[in-house]
Amino acid sequence: MSLAIGLIAIVVAVIAQVSILPFFSIFGVQPNLVIVLLVAWMAVRGQREVLLLVPAAGLVQGLLDSQPLGLAMLALAPIILMTEVREQRWVESDLVPALVLAALATLVYEATILLTLAVTGEHLDWLASVLDVLVPAAIANALLLLPVYGLIRLASQDLRQREAL
Amino acid sequence: MHVRTRTWLSVVVLASLLFIAASRLAIFDPLENAVLSVAAPIESALRGASRPVADFVNNLTDINRLSDENQSLREENERLTAEAARLRETERELQQLEQLLNLRGGRPEDRFVAAHVFAREPNNQQDMIAIDRGRADGLEEDMIVLTQQGSLVGTVSRVLDDVAWVTLITDSSSAVSAAIQASRVQGVVVGSTDGTLTMEFVEETADVKEGDLVLTSGIGGSYPPGELIGQVVEVDRAAQELFQAVHVQPLADLSRLETVLVLTSFLPLAAGQP
Repeated sequence: MSLAIGLIAIVVAVIAQVSILPFFSIFGVQPNLVIVLLVAWMAVRGQREVLLLVPAAGLVQGLLDSQPLGLAMLALAPIILMTEVREQRWVESDLVPALVLAALATLVYEATILLTLAVTGEHLDWLASVLDVLVPAAIANALLLLPVYGLIRLASQDLRQREAL
Repeated sequence: MHVRTRTWLSVVVLASLLFIAASRLAIFDPLENAVLSVAAPIESALRGASRPVADFVNNLTDINRLSDENQSLREENERLTAEAARLRETERELQQLEQLLNLRGGRPEDRFVAAHVFAREPNNQQDMIAIDRGRADGLEEDMIVLTQQGSLVGTVSRVLDDVAWVTLITDSSSAVSAAIQASRVQGVVVGSTDGTLTMEFVEETADVKEGDLVLTSGIGGSYPPGELIGQVVEVDRAAQELFQAVHVQPLADLSRLETVLVLTSFLPLAAGQP
């Protein structure tokens, strides 16, 4: 049930990402709702569901963006690794590690895209990319995580109550 | 790390690489075309619905900037009213703009395909838009794309049967041979990661002023000459530099494009072609 909801949420997030979010920028960059949703889902719902949601999100995004199919999946794959950090539960809070992981996942995602562009022969200004894109995008996604985390937490509590009944 | 996580990560990475390789061979093009064609009307409707909300939110967050801008515009207005010479210069620029707009009517052989913008590339490294016209409508890679008013938007970079992706001139990979309309000074207008345009290779002594119009020069054969790129907003002259940095602002707001025109009657010269 919750996995199906997760998959629907991913499809909605990807469509919103390419159609609505370009109109809203934070610190001059477009926040990435897909990354934020995956990290928030991991923080609230745990590792198991996210392991499946990550490749699904990569595939859906790959079908709707301009990149080769598979690149978004590759760029999102490190989130699978990050689920281990969540499972370690080094701190009591779920939110604080999620904020850090949202920023980290963004850095890895944007860096993967950047490296791919470099490999395909595009001339890049690395310093400008780091300062103008990577760092602001990491902060923007960490900020966006707060409302998304709150929503998923509320929805998850409601789902648990219904399942308990 | 758990074996399960490690194994799953390996599977996902391997699958990604296989997908990328297959995608390079255009194996997934029909699938991508079908999905994008189905998603295009939904995305267009969402873009249309969210635009007023975005305007409202952006105006709220930009209230300080708008207030400053309002103040500086008042000062500018006063200055313009007081300076007759400046008014004449403005009038001359308007005449230039008028001539430029007439240029479109003076090239009746140009053929265009109108297309709606329905999506934007989600990563922050590339400035690209998706349009609802493709190979079936006569589009080919490297065709140039203009706004309805005739200023340059970018080039078609990927074509599927019914949709295409356009790389905007503000993309960091974009480089357009350009000339200042008034002085015919030449250079190259390049995009950047922050979405701004700079005209490079403009000699330090060249006559460039704020407000000058920048057009495509046609050199290199990638773009037809005389297409409007934008207007000079700032000129940086450093004492020991060979070139001045000319900052150019596109006349159209490229972040809010709705309809564009693809110039199908012009194909750029292939590399090595005379």
